[in-house]
Amino acid sequence: MSGKMIQRHTRLNIFMHWFNAACWLFLLATGLGLIRNGDLEILGGWWAEAMRTLFGGGERMLIAHMAVGLIWAAGFLIYAIAKARTDTIPFIREIFRFTLPRDLLWLAKKGIQMTMGYRALQKISDFLKRRGVDPEIAAPRIPDQGFYNAGQKLFAIPSVLLGVVIAASGVILFLSKPYLEETALVRWAILVHFVAVGLVFAGLLIHVYMAAIAAGERPAFISMFTGQVPESYARHHHRLWWDEVREEKTD
Amino acid sequence: MKTQFAMVIDSSACIDCKACMAACKVENRVPDGQWRNWIKRREPDFENLAWFGEAATLHFQPGNCMHCDNPTCVSACPTGATFKDEKDGTVRVDSGLCIGCGSCIPACPYGARYRHPEKKVVDKCDFCEKRRARGEQPACVVTCPTKARVFGNLADPESEVSRLLTKNNTVRVVNRTTDTRPNIYYLSATAPLDWPVEAKIPTPIALWKGINPFIWGLVGLNALGVLVMLGKQLLVNDPEPEEKGK
Repeated sequence: MSGKMIQRHTRLNIFMHWFNAACWLFLLATGLGLIRNGDLEILGGWWAEAMRTLFGGGERMLIAHMAVGLIWAAGFLIYAIAKARTDTIPFIREIFRFTLPRDLLWLAKKGIQMTMGYRALQKISDFLKRRGVDPEIAAPRIPDQGFYNAGQKLFAIPSVLLGVVIAASGVILFLSKPYLEETALVRWAILVHFVAVGLVFAGLLIHVYMAAIAAGERPAFISMFTGQVPESYARHHHRLWWDEVREEKTD
Repeated sequence: MKTQFAMVIDSSACIDCKACMAACKVENRVPDGQWRNWIKRREPDFENLAWFGEAATLHFQPGNCMHCDNPTCVSACPTGATFKDEKDGTVRVDSGLCIGCGSCIPACPYGARYRHPEKKVVDKCDFCEKRRARGEQPACVVTCPTKARVFGNLADPESEVSRLLTKNNTVRVVNRTTDTRPNIYYLSATAPLDWPVEAKIPTPIALWKGINPFIWGLVGLNALGVLVMLGKQLLVNDPEPEEKGK
């Protein structure tokens, strides 16, 4: 049974994922290259200077940043509207669906396991049990999860909401040069754009580690190319989703 | 040799003819309603019955972007489109990199900057960069009929501006809160002196500077979390216990 594969992502899902990843990489690199101010640079001015040299001038880098940013925003807007019924709405519903206390326990236990290991999880569990904590809560077993686990949902929500903020503030910044008379709005848009990107970028580090490097997550990474995960992986990591898929099949 | 372009102005020689303003406007195609340079004036204080002495006289004070050594406009610009050029000491605007946010405009205590109504980017005096490239002096300098404005390289001790500075007492016009260390010097005394306003970094930019460490701190914390997980993954043998039952 373990050799069987389950469909997890459509071809369009996969395309949008890597389209998003490529745009993010490019926009992050050029966006950081646009920050050139002693009080705002984090690594010193070399990154901005290097990027400007790479593009043959700051103006070209700015134009490239705006062009790719608009393509990114337009791509997602078209996708979200065209696939509203099959992709967008079910996805939004899924990422906002939290089950308590299951998801909170998952976050705590998975966090302990990822940083300190199974043995630490067992020790903490034993300790809590001795202190009279409900054995259901204190159990070392990491709770089952649905299509997305609680961590994925906690990253997906800000990614979507802040993604909209990033796109909207980016459009304001783009419009500033050719059209806008009012500059106060533009100045606030810069700040909002930066903070939103910073927050998503912080989460992105965890996302990349979990997906591409973490032990046991290789099938998830491969599924971002093939669209399929092994049944054993689905059962182990997304038990509740696996149950749903099985039910659908037997119906 | 290092270059620091500067102006030494004998404001007592100014007759308020505004030829420098007209010449600048034509030379740099400055749009309607905007100016890259100016002539400030001190009116006689007749209301307090000052009929004699300093207070009884008109005084004119020509000026333009002071190409400061401590430019608050540069500090307000997020992209570095406004920058102090190390080659000639002027404060320049790279209009290609300017995103038209206008942050630098209130950051200049002299009001030397404006947002170009068509180009939507900031514009100001560049000591006539194009004319200098041809080996000419700035338009305002050559136009002035009383030769009130003198332009040159302050880093060169042989230049006229350097000689004027060593031979005379000079003053610089600064605002009360920040010494921007301007590169326009006025001979002996000038008036008015109370017109520069406080240099204001707009709230979003100031706020950005304040929260920048926290945003990057959060990124750093997450990076640290990833490193801890990676270290555990690589260094610690931590087999998953067998699932019982289920």
